[in-house]
Amino acid sequence: MRRATDAPFTSDLVSQKRVIVCCGAGGVGKTTTAAAIGLAGAMAGRRVLVLTIDPARRLAEAMGIPAGGATPARVPSALVKTDGALWAWMLDPRIVFESMVRRLSDTKDRADRVLGNKLYLALRDLIAGMQEYTAAEALYTFHESGDYDLVVLDTPPSRNALEFLEAPRKLALFLDEKIVGVFLPSTGASGLFWSRARGLVSSVFDRIFGEGFMDDLQSFLGGFSGMFASMRSHAEAVRALLTSDQSSFIVVTSPDSAARTEARFMQAKLRSMRLPFSGYVLNRSWAYTRGLASPSSLAAGTSPAAISALRKLEALADHERDLAERDRLLLNALRDDGQCEATATPHLGAAIEDFAGLLTLAIGLRVPPGAEDRGNGD
Amino acid sequence: MMDLSRLRAVLVAGKGGVGKTTVTAGLARAAAAAGKRVLAAEVSYELDSPTPLAEVLGLKRASEEPVLVERNLSLALLTPHAGHLHFLRDALPMRMLADAAMKSAAIRRFLLAAPSLAEMGVLYRILDFLRRKRSDGSFEHDLLIVDLPATGHALGLAQVPSVILKVIKRGPIHDAMREGLVLLTDPKQTGTLLVTLPETLPVSEAIELAHGISKHKIPLAGVIVNRVPVDPFTPEERAAIDAMHIDTAAMLGARTIPRIDRAKESIARLKRELGHSPLTLPEVIDETHLERTIAQAFGIGAKA
Repeated sequence: MRRATDAPFTSDLVSQKRVIVCCGAGGVGKTTTAAAIGLAGAMAGRRVLVLTIDPARRLAEAMGIPAGGATPARVPSALVKTDGALWAWMLDPRIVFESMVRRLSDTKDRADRVLGNKLYLALRDLIAGMQEYTAAEALYTFHESGDYDLVVLDTPPSRNALEFLEAPRKLALFLDEKIVGVFLPSTGASGLFWSRARGLVSSVFDRIFGEGFMDDLQSFLGGFSGMFASMRSHAEAVRALLTSDQSSFIVVTSPDSAARTEARFMQAKLRSMRLPFSGYVLNRSWAYTRGLASPSSLAAGTSPAAISALRKLEALADHERDLAERDRLLLNALRDDGQCEATATPHLGAAIEDFAGLLTLAIGLRVPPGAEDRGNGD
Repeated sequence: MMDLSRLRAVLVAGKGGVGKTTVTAGLARAAAAAGKRVLAAEVSYELDSPTPLAEVLGLKRASEEPVLVERNLSLALLTPHAGHLHFLRDALPMRMLADAAMKSAAIRRFLLAAPSLAEMGVLYRILDFLRRKRSDGSFEHDLLIVDLPATGHALGLAQVPSVILKVIKRGPIHDAMREGLVLLTDPKQTGTLLVTLPETLPVSEAIELAHGISKHKIPLAGVIVNRVPVDPFTPEERAAIDAMHIDTAAMLGARTIPRIDRAKESIARLKRELGHSPLTLPEVIDETHLERTIAQAFGIGAKA
């Protein structure tokens, strides 16, 4: 039984959840989908923040916000036209990290020391790794601020799509006092365990990183030492929020077979991590064809060029019908396979670069798929 | 388009979903058919994550050590873990110490948590494969072709050596990263193939990526535009269509027309901004044809 008249599952999510996380392989349109979900939330009357990762500049322009601002920018209300409101922010790992250090430091002096450390100065511009560490932190901070009813997170295109969840956990594992203590200047903790572990680490590090690195690392980590407990408890609080029923994870996929393999993998992974997986969004799909005219309705006239042109247009139409059939089958396969909800958003091509395109997607995520052609006895 | 036949390493880069894996596999097969000993490799940060390149090459499971796929063609996974282990074994005087280090919870967790050390492990693994020699003194792998993870990371890998060299001033990691930097920036040894799609945004991103790569002095060997829609219309037919003033968004079949136009614009723009014509691959292409097209474009197999 299919919910031909019901609204898509995303409709309930955007009006009820506090956090929605969009996962998916790179290139499936995650950022655009996250923006459309945010807009759908605003249309439902809520105050929504979309946290995007490296959005296409055009998308920022479409939303009427500057790229590279230090704080969330409000999407002009003339565009949103509802009681709700929409903000967007492009995640800047440096701002997130530095404000966390300032918040957790007991003195300004201590914060300055961490942020002025030469190891940090060398590493802060690295693209790889930094987004993963700060996405969850940013999500948590904005959620806690109470300024927003809903925060939508577009996940970084990283080594693995759930890295943003794993990274804080890895950090927490490292910040375990027994572990990180080995890397810190000796504070008098003694005993066989400590001296052995320290001996191994410093002999290995001196040999591979060269002499002097261990001192740099110690002074960097030493600067943090008062913050470890807060950082650890933060990592735990993020995890608690994301596993609660206030949160929802959506896996975005495209009809491409590699993307679907990745999507299935992610769905399984989310479930094994006991995160609240809500369903799939099949993006860039050709599934909906109802309401579209057919080239056969056109009058070709008598010119030979027009007649052959129409014949070729018919062939293109047949190809699109095949794609529609393929994508409807895919949608059903996603539902059956994951025992979950799935909804499709249309292939909009270049139209996605303006606000009208985003609005089309947002409407599709909220209202019953009236345009969906459910022929073929589906 | 650059001649790839003399290179030691080709890095296939681009956004997710543009077809990097298909291009990697096509290039690997073409080079193997031309008589080169080829190692195709994909980066895997977790052992249970999907391995699309292995799938395209018809292998059920890839492993960290090369597995023979067919004559002259092997496949390996590039994992940070294998890179770290080999590195420690090479750098530390005793194997025992290396193994003890990899067993130490403190060191393992440090390697996991520190940003960029994973990329460093992958890069070390690439160097390791390129150095390997057979008993007759020839290279074990003439050509290494790497299917890089989706963007961010293409650059991520590229910027790793220079950042690490800033932080670590001496010692084996310093030396390995210096070697890595020399390799990555030498146009006689390394080339990057940038794969993109014929749409406005992917092309903008490809141009940005090309500039990022050149900022790190990594040689760009070529650009491939994948899945280009075929334009079925003659100029006269197209004029006839335009004269009908169709709402292309609201008619079956007609939705393809703006895609065709955008594809043409995108290809022209790439040529304009990057200075050379990209190789275009049609939307529907079989394996043999793909291999042949890639081989011709990049000077592979000319003297097989």
